[in-house]
Amino acid sequence: MSTVVEVLTPGFILRDALVASVLVGIVCPLVGVYFVLRRMIFLGVALPQLSAAGIAFALLVHRAVIGPHPHGETTDAILARLGATTFTLGGILLLALLERRGREFVEARIGMAYAIAGALTILFLAADPWGEAHIVNLLKGELLAATEKSLVFLAAVLGAVVVVLLAFQKEFLLVSFDHDLAVVFGKRTTVWDALLYVLCGLTISFGVLAAGPLVTFGFLLAPPLTARLLTRRMLTFSIVSAAIGGVTAFVGFCVAFRYDMPLGPAEVAVSAAVLLLISAADWLRRTLAPSPA
Amino acid sequence: MCLVRLRDVSLGYENRPVLEHVSLELGRGEFVALLGPNGAGKTTLLRGMVGLIPVMAGAIDYEFERATDPIGYVPQRETLDPAFPLTVLEVVLMGTYARLPALRRVGARQRLLAARCLDFVGLGALAEQRFAALSGGQTQRVLIARALAAEPILIVLDEPTAGVDAEATAAIMDVLSRLNRENGLTVLLVTHQVRMLSGAASAVFWVQDGRAMRGRVEDVTAAGALLGAPDFRR
Repeated sequence: MSTVVEVLTPGFILRDALVASVLVGIVCPLVGVYFVLRRMIFLGVALPQLSAAGIAFALLVHRAVIGPHPHGETTDAILARLGATTFTLGGILLLALLERRGREFVEARIGMAYAIAGALTILFLAADPWGEAHIVNLLKGELLAATEKSLVFLAAVLGAVVVVLLAFQKEFLLVSFDHDLAVVFGKRTTVWDALLYVLCGLTISFGVLAAGPLVTFGFLLAPPLTARLLTRRMLTFSIVSAAIGGVTAFVGFCVAFRYDMPLGPAEVAVSAAVLLLISAADWLRRTLAPSPA
Repeated sequence: MCLVRLRDVSLGYENRPVLEHVSLELGRGEFVALLGPNGAGKTTLLRGMVGLIPVMAGAIDYEFERATDPIGYVPQRETLDPAFPLTVLEVVLMGTYARLPALRRVGARQRLLAARCLDFVGLGALAEQRFAALSGGQTQRVLIARALAAEPILIVLDEPTAGVDAEATAAIMDVLSRLNRENGLTVLLVTHQVRMLSGAASAVFWVQDGRAMRGRVEDVTAAGALLGAPDFRR
């Protein structure tokens, strides 16, 4: 309890890291619900990895063209954002385009995207030894290094994502649940699909920059998978997913702070523990429920 | 009075035609069944008529404005993913999206309309049930209610009675007959069950060997349902 009080104190030294954690925890599940419902879970693994490759690539280009990039400078952060966003959006739009041409090899394409992104990340790092140590930290996610400036940027981008998700919720639901009906109704399905993918790409690239691929992937999936067991309406599904993400990020932060653990893995572990607990409770409820006569 | 006219239409997938030189007319207020052997192209014709697959040759004319008069569409229920956490009412409300522009939220009018459509198919009491928990017959009736919520003048259904029991089939056909007779709604459905069409359908589109032609329901039943192509020429 004393840890919670300390963490919530206005002058708490890691306040920015806490806010960044909770922001990622809230917004990632909001796009994660579409990953779960559209059965694009593998994409949730591949895109954060693509984002990481984009960061490594941007910094490598900087080194090759301009010169070494001292860690922590403004150009460092801008390059990382640019690289992460370009690779993630490019990857998701390319995969979406290929999906429209045929669903037969969707999983194989996403798997290959993950493998290629992982390999490229390592190759880009190897080609940029000067900044390797700094980049490795960046790729792991630098929640603890969040600054007020980076936090404002993160909040602005993720806030915009939430506003657009809420504004076009019915369009995103229609193209996700019954794509054919949307076409028959004359809706611009390509536009709505592309917009949803852009929102996913932005959330993932900024999530990876703030918290790393592991945390981003964890929060894309674990809260929606948990919320699915608790809700039966689409709106409450999204709200509960975001709430679970925010709360588990906060609890994970407190646990990591109290026991001096790595922040990102602690948050993912708490989120996974909640999923396991709720799954067990749901299984128990269904097992003990009287069977229909 | 014609509602949809196909003029020398070819339809297919990936540049391979399934149906060629199809010329048909669907009249306003008609109840037409799309019949034919398995794999003949019934669903292809239906999907082409509602714009789900591009027309490879020829043209389809709609004697109504597609942008303002949406088509009510009932897909095969297996195409809908039960993983979505949706109540029955939420699914029916999707039909009202047809006339709602982007940024306009569902309001009281849409909720009332969805509730009325559910009542029409006899499932008003299930509005708050989970959609995924319904039986096959109930699912089809909910999807018909969703199509009605678009306030269409034409409703097309892809095998609405497939995999449902006789009682549910009768309930579905009763709903469709009432819609056609009492509300003047034009109905076009794909089916394998010829017997249920008696008294309901006014005409059939027979699909076989890459062609489609129009005929009477009596011709099909007299020919022994789907065992052979009926002789529409006599």
